[in-house]
Amino acid sequence: MQAEEVGLTSPEYMKIVELMHRKPNDLELGLFGALWSEHCSYKSTKALLSRLPHDGPHVVQGPGANAGVVRLDQDIEVAFKVESHNHPSYVEPVQGAATGVGGILRDIVAMGARPVALADLLRFGIDAHSLILLDRVVKGVGQYGNAIGIPTVIGDLAFSDTYRGNPLVNVMAVGLRSPEMHISASTARPGQWLLLVGQRTGRDGIHGASLLASRDFTEGDDDLRPTVQVGDPFLGKLLMEATLKAVSEGLLAALQDLGAAGLASATAELCDASGVGAELWLDRVPLRQKGLTAYDIMLSETQERMLLVTSDENLSQVVSIFEHQEILCSVIGHITASKELAVQYRDRPVASVRPDWLIKEAPRRPLSEAQWVSLKAPVAGGTAIAPAFDPRMVREVLSDRDVRDRRPIYRRYDSTIRSATIWGPSHDSAILRVRGSDAGLAIAVFGTGRWASVDPYAGGVGAVLLVLARLAAQGAEPLGLTDGVNAGNPDLAESYDAMAALVRGVADAARAAGVPVTGGNVSLHNETDGQAIWPTVMMGGVGRQPHPYSPLPDYLTASGDLLFLINPSELNLGGSVVALHHQGMTAFPRVDLRKVPHLLKSVSDWALSGVPRAMRAVGPGGLGAVVVRMMQGQTLAYGVEMDLKERDSDLTARLFNEVPLQWVTLVDSRDKDRAMDYWGNLGVEVTQVGVVNDTGTLSFKAQGHSWPGSTLLEAWHRPFEEGAYEP
Amino acid sequence: MRVGVVTFPGSNCDCDTLEAFEFLDVPTKHLWYADTDLTDVDAVVLPGGFSYGDYLRSGALAAKAPMMTAIRDAIQGRDLPVLGICNGFQILTEAGLLPGALRANRHGQFRCAWQTLRVTNESPLFLGLSEGELLRLPIAHAEGSYYAPAGTLADLFMSREVWLQYVDDRGDLNTLTNPNGSLANIAGITRGNVAALMPHPERALEKAFGSEDGRRLLMAWLRGLQERSAHAS
Repeated sequence: MQAEEVGLTSPEYMKIVELMHRKPNDLELGLFGALWSEHCSYKSTKALLSRLPHDGPHVVQGPGANAGVVRLDQDIEVAFKVESHNHPSYVEPVQGAATGVGGILRDIVAMGARPVALADLLRFGIDAHSLILLDRVVKGVGQYGNAIGIPTVIGDLAFSDTYRGNPLVNVMAVGLRSPEMHISASTARPGQWLLLVGQRTGRDGIHGASLLASRDFTEGDDDLRPTVQVGDPFLGKLLMEATLKAVSEGLLAALQDLGAAGLASATAELCDASGVGAELWLDRVPLRQKGLTAYDIMLSETQERMLLVTSDENLSQVVSIFEHQEILCSVIGHITASKELAVQYRDRPVASVRPDWLIKEAPRRPLSEAQWVSLKAPVAGGTAIAPAFDPRMVREVLSDRDVRDRRPIYRRYDSTIRSATIWGPSHDSAILRVRGSDAGLAIAVFGTGRWASVDPYAGGVGAVLLVLARLAAQGAEPLGLTDGVNAGNPDLAESYDAMAALVRGVADAARAAGVPVTGGNVSLHNETDGQAIWPTVMMGGVGRQPHPYSPLPDYLTASGDLLFLINPSELNLGGSVVALHHQGMTAFPRVDLRKVPHLLKSVSDWALSGVPRAMRAVGPGGLGAVVVRMMQGQTLAYGVEMDLKERDSDLTARLFNEVPLQWVTLVDSRDKDRAMDYWGNLGVEVTQVGVVNDTGTLSFKAQGHSWPGSTLLEAWHRPFEEGAYEP
Repeated sequence: MRVGVVTFPGSNCDCDTLEAFEFLDVPTKHLWYADTDLTDVDAVVLPGGFSYGDYLRSGALAAKAPMMTAIRDAIQGRDLPVLGICNGFQILTEAGLLPGALRANRHGQFRCAWQTLRVTNESPLFLGLSEGELLRLPIAHAEGSYYAPAGTLADLFMSREVWLQYVDDRGDLNTLTNPNGSLANIAGITRGNVAALMPHPERALEKAFGSEDGRRLLMAWLRGLQERSAHAS
């Protein structure tokens, strides 16, 4: 077998020979190929990601484990992470998306946490084939999430031709655990048993990590279909229940899920994290079919499997838990004090490698301080020029696929199972009650698309800030962030630099806000026939919501209320829907990061002050879209008369800029002075932009335009198969 | 009064259902599909969600579980009250304990939404739910399209066993508010002491979750149980 067949370069092969002081056999080469792949080793991005802020007062577990963990309160911790399943979802969208959901759920379970929520972040092209992929991916997400019984409570969706050959399917999972449930992959000790539980191992998904997810697509890649796995949410459910029961009874010493690169990755990571060796007996691995080689068994990506470590004393109890759920549970080896991962098959040693070679010695792309600094350099060109205001722009923006109602998607997901969803996917953030805590859990997500197309740094900043702005609009204290980075081929300078600038943007914004990034995922090689996607980061944030049973409304509640815009931005349409329609791609505005903490804190305190009647953060579609979405809350009874001082092109820019850290809030007219005092004292600019009335229409006082609510909703509800209204 | 809630392999609304009855201060017993002992329960709930992944028809495998044999015997022997929710409804039709079948939603998609329902016929099983009353409850299913042959359907209406129907917010029946293609917008039926519905009352116990009509429905069922057990003793 040649190095290239497992995705390794010849310098990498030389390094392996140097480490081993001998040539690797085929199986050993396969192990290196998988573990040193981009997908498993993060070889191009590890140095970059280490620059993200990881620490904070609420952090229990930062990056490096199966998922990050933050503290909600004394008794409850939150495990959460976003993960991608892009390449498989293009090759086989239903199963690709389904196994993506299953995979991230097992990461949460591997932290000893019970999954309580899912969020999907999707990007598709706009051609007919892409829209079929969207339908199949949504089916796949629902197929797994609905059947395993975890609600999909929020999501993000955007479109561009850039994703035509590389749709993005990122899923975030959130779980809860008691602080006593501390378990991870780093706590295995010599003498303990290694157990493989769940699905029988088959020949599915071999090379999924090393070949499918770690290289670009080219014409005629149909032969990659066998590298996709098939999900079984029923077995996933049984496996989750049995594993969590074993954890809660304190029977496990360590735990690791099987994902990319299967048993090879799971054993290597577990041994490396625990600083131990292991002996594996592959004859004891239950197989789905005859004739599997040691290579197949080690690298199979068969889904719904977990690796457990338990002491001799607890072994029989663990086995009986899995027997109760009728799940296969097999002792496949034991932990040793040696430095070796020794693999035996048919009573012969077939591989012997050190786990740290597979994990820590993986080649890494260095990142110099000078490179890091350069990532923030301003981007030339791409300035947006605002077109003169045209009343038809209102329906144009509302009907844009990035702005329009996502209900056709989320109604295919069970968002209310577990009976904890107080706010679900029709809102900008999800709010879950948490049993055993007065605090609730707020979850907000947002990914870049247009925002990072020209100036990825600004886009990365923007995504972080919008997630935090959405949490702040509920008065939720941000506990942590997770990032899913999706980009093109890292070996091409242009793709790498764009991705790196995006990550720098995430790092700077998160650091400025004082919120840690506790884990995430990188998907590279989203490139087809030399055409890379826009670098795209999918951000997820979790927050402590102090009053889960009474969220601050995000809709109009009373006639006569005043609408204020908090922190009105500069008039810069860069990266917005309107700029895209009228001019093309333009650079997203850069935000002054110095004022971030003050603004977020002020808004969060405002949300909890009892003064505002409602609030929403400005995002895609700008102020105009926010106001319309506030109109359609529970009934269409209320309307808004907008009174903006801007005219012509300035009016366009005011209504439709998407600069983050702006919020629309509503106050009772009697509270106007209180509101002005509050913001005046904090030195934050607010401006009155309208008054709520009971006409059910949106009107512009100065310009004399008016739209019945039904006309606006009709634009907002446009089916995804159809393009936006054009003026 | 003790309510048993059955867990089949893969059941995923069992915990929500148990918690709902605990919230209503009703003693519960968690029943496992492989067991058959129903001696100390006064009524049984078959919870919603999925069972066995529902790779075959929804509820088809669960209907063959040992616990379902015990439930069938108890229905026949001591008129055991049974409430099926969503997957529980599917299991009851698959087991032949309720007439008709639940087919794949006509649009072919899973549907999760808030839905208004009308109480079509007052039932002694639900004391306090009166005819024409509207309830707002969540639905979440892929196979909820109620079907029965024409004769059976007519019998259901004649014998006042059509219990809940999907309606619009004003309480009117029309095809636009039918979320799954059910015949005659049927969302729930009763027969003897057995009742079932596709919506999820256990998810609507408090206003903060969008509606407390689920609590009303479950309380009405519990009152019905108490009333009948008072008469029996």
